[in-house]
Amino acid sequence: MKFMHTRLPDFYTKIEAAAKKRNPETGFSVSGLENVKTAKLASLRVGRVEDEISEITEDDDIKKVEVVLTTDNPETLYTVVIKGIQEDGTCKKVILENMMLSAPTVETHLFGVKEVIDRRTNIKK
Amino acid sequence: MKLKYRIIPKGAADGTVPLNWAFIDKKDILEAGLTDLEACKVIGKDLGEDCAAVNVMDMDAITVTSDGIIANGAVVGVASVDHGMINPSYGYLNISEIPYSDQMIQEEPHMRLWLTDFYKGKKLFRGPSRADRGNRSPNNENMTMSGRIANNNCGSEVMNMVEMTEILAPFFGQYEIMTGGEVIIGLAGPVVSVGIGMVVSERHGRVFGGDNLGSYRAGMTAHNSGIYAKTVKQDYPAIAAPKNVLAEYTLRALDIGLIPGRHIGSSPAVLCLAKAYGKEIDCDNIASRAWIELESVGITREFLESPSKVMTREEVIANADKIIPGMEDAKKYAVADICEIRYAEV
Repeated sequence: MKFMHTRLPDFYTKIEAAAKKRNPETGFSVSGLENVKTAKLASLRVGRVEDEISEITEDDDIKKVEVVLTTDNPETLYTVVIKGIQEDGTCKKVILENMMLSAPTVETHLFGVKEVIDRRTNIKK
Repeated sequence: MKLKYRIIPKGAADGTVPLNWAFIDKKDILEAGLTDLEACKVIGKDLGEDCAAVNVMDMDAITVTSDGIIANGAVVGVASVDHGMINPSYGYLNISEIPYSDQMIQEEPHMRLWLTDFYKGKKLFRGPSRADRGNRSPNNENMTMSGRIANNNCGSEVMNMVEMTEILAPFFGQYEIMTGGEVIIGLAGPVVSVGIGMVVSERHGRVFGGDNLGSYRAGMTAHNSGIYAKTVKQDYPAIAAPKNVLAEYTLRALDIGLIPGRHIGSSPAVLCLAKAYGKEIDCDNIASRAWIELESVGITREFLESPSKVMTREEVIANADKIIPGMEDAKKYAVADICEIRYAEV
């Protein structure tokens, strides 16, 4: 079971290795999860992403891989935690509130791109 | 084949309009032999690398404003388009036709307006059904999103999420856009910011309510933001109908005995019209949280209950600009001066 989900730091290590596997000089960046400090990622998707990163580096025109993780649902729901902290640093009181956040969709990454290969599943099209 | 559409381009109204907003008449879509979604795609393609919010309008139908006033015309579909793309999951939203029922009239007293000669027999569109919301079930908003553009609350608030700009169009303003009338464009200001929150409870409303009734009833505030309600939308530009138009539609509700704070929302516009027209206001039913918001923009119970000259219907409409508060730095425009009619290749 321990292989069912990948640790977030391992994900970063794995996808960078995949980008540089064919050519260590290939540029690489990953963004989108900066606020997520600890998480587990679906291992089978990690494997697919590694394989797809390797595939995209097979094109000699491609010198850098930029990996962006963006929410599939662009309206994300958050809980706001309003903490009242006492002098000794302990939290005396919390008020919880909803926050709805609407963000640009994946299309903003597709402007002017000649070839989009969509391998996502379970997406209504 | 060409598809006719209207567009208020970014920069219109002396630079006040921050993003493109397109409107397509359902009749023109049918004439072009397209579905509503296909028509939105045609507009997206016509705009090339630009982006826009798109509203599909049925001018023979009716809809309801957030404070419970029935309006002629309805938004029956909304979309966000960017670089010719519409997000397959979230980029288009059909607005469902809501059938008449006696239960609705009982639960939603403002809908008695539907039974008047003005609207009887017309199709009603407000918000999407559960089926039309599709995979938005975990979402809060009745919103479309594609690329940079969001089109929210069934086509009354549109945004560019990259530039973080926004513009509002209360429905009577949209009706004027479609019919080539006049609009006032300016900042929403504190009064409109408060008024937007004074809603009625509906099933499948434009903003609130799904299979169950929306939890905010007439007399309550959906903003529930205390003294901050007047700031939440005050800085956004808005496209509204001239105030005499708003007065005419609101007086139709007052004429059949609908009471602000009990049957229709207690927005500053509705309350001030009722006071001028000498109609009952259910001050006791207006929630304390709503009073905080109203008082923050100068609408106090003392003011509403103070004696004043009761005007006739004609006098109220003639003096609507003085009676109805709201909008800042507003300027009146002929729609023809801010809205282009274009024809897209199908």
